[in-house]
Amino acid sequence: MPPVTHAPPLQIAVSPTRVAVGRALRHGSFWVGGLIILVILLAAIFAPWLTPYDPSIQDLGQRFVAPVWAEDGSWAHPLGTDGLGRDYLTRLLFGARISLMIGFLTILISGTIGTAMGVAAGYWGGWVDLVVNFIITIRLTLPVVLVALVVVALIGSSLSLLVMVIGLLLWDRFAIVMRSATQQLASREYITSARTIGSSTTRILIREIMPNIMGPLIVVASIELAHAILLEAALSFLGLGVQPPNVSWGLMVAEAKSQLLFRPWMIAVPGAALVLLIFAINLVGDALRDVTTPEGKA
Amino acid sequence: MSETVLSMRGVTRDYAVGGAFRKKATLRALRGIDLSVDRGRTLGLVGESGCGKSTLARILLGIEDPTSGTVLVSGRPIQDYERLARARLIQPVFQDPYSSLNPRMSVEAIIGAPLKVRGEGTAASRRTRVHEMAGEVGLPRHLVEAYPSQLSGGQRQRVAIARALIGEPEILICDEPTSALDVSVQSQILNLLHRLKQELNLTMILISHNLAVVHHLADEVAVMYLGQIVERGDADAIFERPCHPYSDALLKAVLPPRAGARLPELGLEAEFPSPVNPPSGCAFHPRCPKADALCAEVDPNPAGIDPVFRCHHPNNFGAAAHPAQAAG
Amino acid sequence: MSMTAPILEVSGLKVEIPVRDTVLRPVRGIDISVAKGETVAIVGESGCGKSLTALAIMGLLPRQARLTSDRIDLNGESLSEASPRRWRKLRGDRIAMIFQDPMTALDPCYRIGDQMAEILKQHRKVSRSAARERSLELLRKVGIPSPEERLNQYPHQLSGGLRQRVMIAMALLCEPELIIADEPTTALDVTIQAQILRLLRDIQRETGIGLILITHDLGVVAGMADRIVVMYGGEVVEAGTCDEVLARPLHPYTEGLMRSIPVPGETRRGETLGFIPGVVPRQTGDLTRCGFLERCPYAHASCAEGSIALRDAGAGHLMRCVLPAAGSGRDPEAWTRHSEASS
Repeated sequence: MPPVTHAPPLQIAVSPTRVAVGRALRHGSFWVGGLIILVILLAAIFAPWLTPYDPSIQDLGQRFVAPVWAEDGSWAHPLGTDGLGRDYLTRLLFGARISLMIGFLTILISGTIGTAMGVAAGYWGGWVDLVVNFIITIRLTLPVVLVALVVVALIGSSLSLLVMVIGLLLWDRFAIVMRSATQQLASREYITSARTIGSSTTRILIREIMPNIMGPLIVVASIELAHAILLEAALSFLGLGVQPPNVSWGLMVAEAKSQLLFRPWMIAVPGAALVLLIFAINLVGDALRDVTTPEGKA
Repeated sequence: MSETVLSMRGVTRDYAVGGAFRKKATLRALRGIDLSVDRGRTLGLVGESGCGKSTLARILLGIEDPTSGTVLVSGRPIQDYERLARARLIQPVFQDPYSSLNPRMSVEAIIGAPLKVRGEGTAASRRTRVHEMAGEVGLPRHLVEAYPSQLSGGQRQRVAIARALIGEPEILICDEPTSALDVSVQSQILNLLHRLKQELNLTMILISHNLAVVHHLADEVAVMYLGQIVERGDADAIFERPCHPYSDALLKAVLPPRAGARLPELGLEAEFPSPVNPPSGCAFHPRCPKADALCAEVDPNPAGIDPVFRCHHPNNFGAAAHPAQAAG
Repeated sequence: MSMTAPILEVSGLKVEIPVRDTVLRPVRGIDISVAKGETVAIVGESGCGKSLTALAIMGLLPRQARLTSDRIDLNGESLSEASPRRWRKLRGDRIAMIFQDPMTALDPCYRIGDQMAEILKQHRKVSRSAARERSLELLRKVGIPSPEERLNQYPHQLSGGLRQRVMIAMALLCEPELIIADEPTTALDVTIQAQILRLLRDIQRETGIGLILITHDLGVVAGMADRIVVMYGGEVVEAGTCDEVLARPLHPYTEGLMRSIPVPGETRRGETLGFIPGVVPRQTGDLTRCGFLERCPYAHASCAEGSIALRDAGAGHLMRCVLPAAGSGRDPEAWTRHSEASS
């Protein structure tokens, strides 16, 4: 009786990254949030081509033009103009540029600082951990907005300074999460194996630890992106963030304060834009959290 | 001509336990270990929780240093070897196939890592070696590009073995290599280890609480209890005529899957002692059915030739004087 | 084999779990019965469905799992349509479960005494002192020294073996009729394992409790079980009295298992051990052929013609295989050839 044989199943190498990306693409929140962010991003990048106006050139003859949905509005200024005659839609688009740019740059800085500290604390433990914890604790006692205000008031608020200040203040969550993620890994046997095959510490950190903490890192980055954007908006609202002739959504809200009762759309529009962006970032962050958490279950 | 590849003399390892607010105590994980392994031989280290076998493995792998004593590999102290040289000497195979492989690296990268770390050869030559090793350990070709999450427990363990052996180490340390595997897979890995042992003349230290596994692969056996080696000698001898009451109990505790088997009465009293507070005299005396006043006072010194044992009232004392008969 | 009515009668137990684009069938129609004082071992390797079977009998399946059965009777009472409320009353009271890992099965935040008292309060109306008395009585019964101290301790203060004894004590609190033990000694040291198993067996002899022992360790089965049920791929592939199945394994899977276990004193050192090539297949869809086909050394054409039924090979020894029951007729070289072909 001939034995029944079967061919081994064809196997395609499926890296964990592929699995995660696949899962993300199937996640509803990821699509909705991602699309919104993409639209805002594209609008910000292509702002100069999307509008004929310049965001900072004043046209005092065109002050407080109504938006297109009001009785005397027109498509020449779909969102109307502000108190200095500047087209509002243009300011919104250019404001998106600043908000997004500041957001991404600051999390680049804070992410690098926080991850470096967190991984060091998690990997070496001992006094390194003590020192890092101490620094984190001190940072947590600082009221971020007040410190930012003070620094900016003292030193001035160029864009690059603003990015530096926010970047140097928002690294704590990165450090805390990366520390615990690294601690969980440090006792895994593949880390021990890497040591026994003679890998240098650098190699272990880059090849073994970093790829495996990418999940939590991306999730924290999305949370902190929202945080950074809101912080900038708050600072600009208080007059100590982005300064004219630059435009940011926070600044737009500040400038429209006096118009709250007469022309409420002037606050509502940049406010809504902020809400929409933060909402989209949170959606994507949620989706990423779901995708990266159930590990090990193929 | 047998060459001593590994030799440990008087190795101890203490840990300080107790935090800032509790009285500091010393956990003595290893209390004077004397061991040697010759080339091509397999030493089985047997013991239960708290006996110190994992600590011993970590010391041999260079993850920890002994508190005192010497560890010589090929005649030189182990601390003299720097990181990469040590990696060439001793390689591990760990227990848990699910955490011993980096989930983000392909199988090929994992197996080839020891060569890459040393900067040996070109990418192409390394690739060839990886495929050779994969074949040696019976890993299907198409799995070499896969990721660990796509492999079964047995396949992962093969990857771990391939990674350990690709650099041609002197000594292979297997720490419970089959404990996390199903029975039908365990036998495959045991067969593999046995074949590799013979083909490559491997020197192996096999740590396991499963006596059947140790019996299958080991030439010599050392039984550990609370940081000491209580009996050491030829595997056949110890399995047939254990001298130390603890070895005896361990052997009786192995449950054979045979019709009519009975649950053994081990005659052991009390619970495991804590390594922080070891009993006086012989560490085993609170549980030993033969213990008397002497045992409670005096820690027995190693006696006998083969096996060497630490007991005031060993079983089979007469047999220890004669070399073991080879088992059928 | 007593002729008294069984404590537990399960037939046709099926568990289905819908996943993304298909339905997993990890348990495909299991029959089990346990008589008073009897130990039935469910044996199998990972993925065979034994743990899910236990959870199903306890009413503890995850939410997304669907359970169907022809019958689940506990002492005559039908449980197949039982409400969650009924299950909550039964669990801990009439059916108790002992889990594998004593470290995680006890709540680390509460003292032992409090955890035991909570069980009693849920199922019996007892005063605090009565609960304490009963707890002490049971801690003594399971051989825990200085039980009064232990009542006040937290789980982390006890060793693994002691924690397992506490779990057994907790299982006995309300005098259940049936205990389901899922790998109760796998996480314990060998010398402790022997003690715990003896304890379980002694208690069982004394109280007549039925015991379902779930394990992958055939050695444990040999020492403890009256009857064995071997599971593979969600099905029962062999069942019978313990001595009979171990002495004359009929199903090729059981045969393969027995051949792969080294036994000091029987297998020669270094002798090539038998093994079962291949891996457990994913269980979806209905089986229209033998589930063990790909890995079986005796496979032939009739194994693929429709699902294989469980049949009696004599004296209550059941097997799910088309091969003749008597050992003769099987090629003794089949396993060796099969192993070599797969290497």
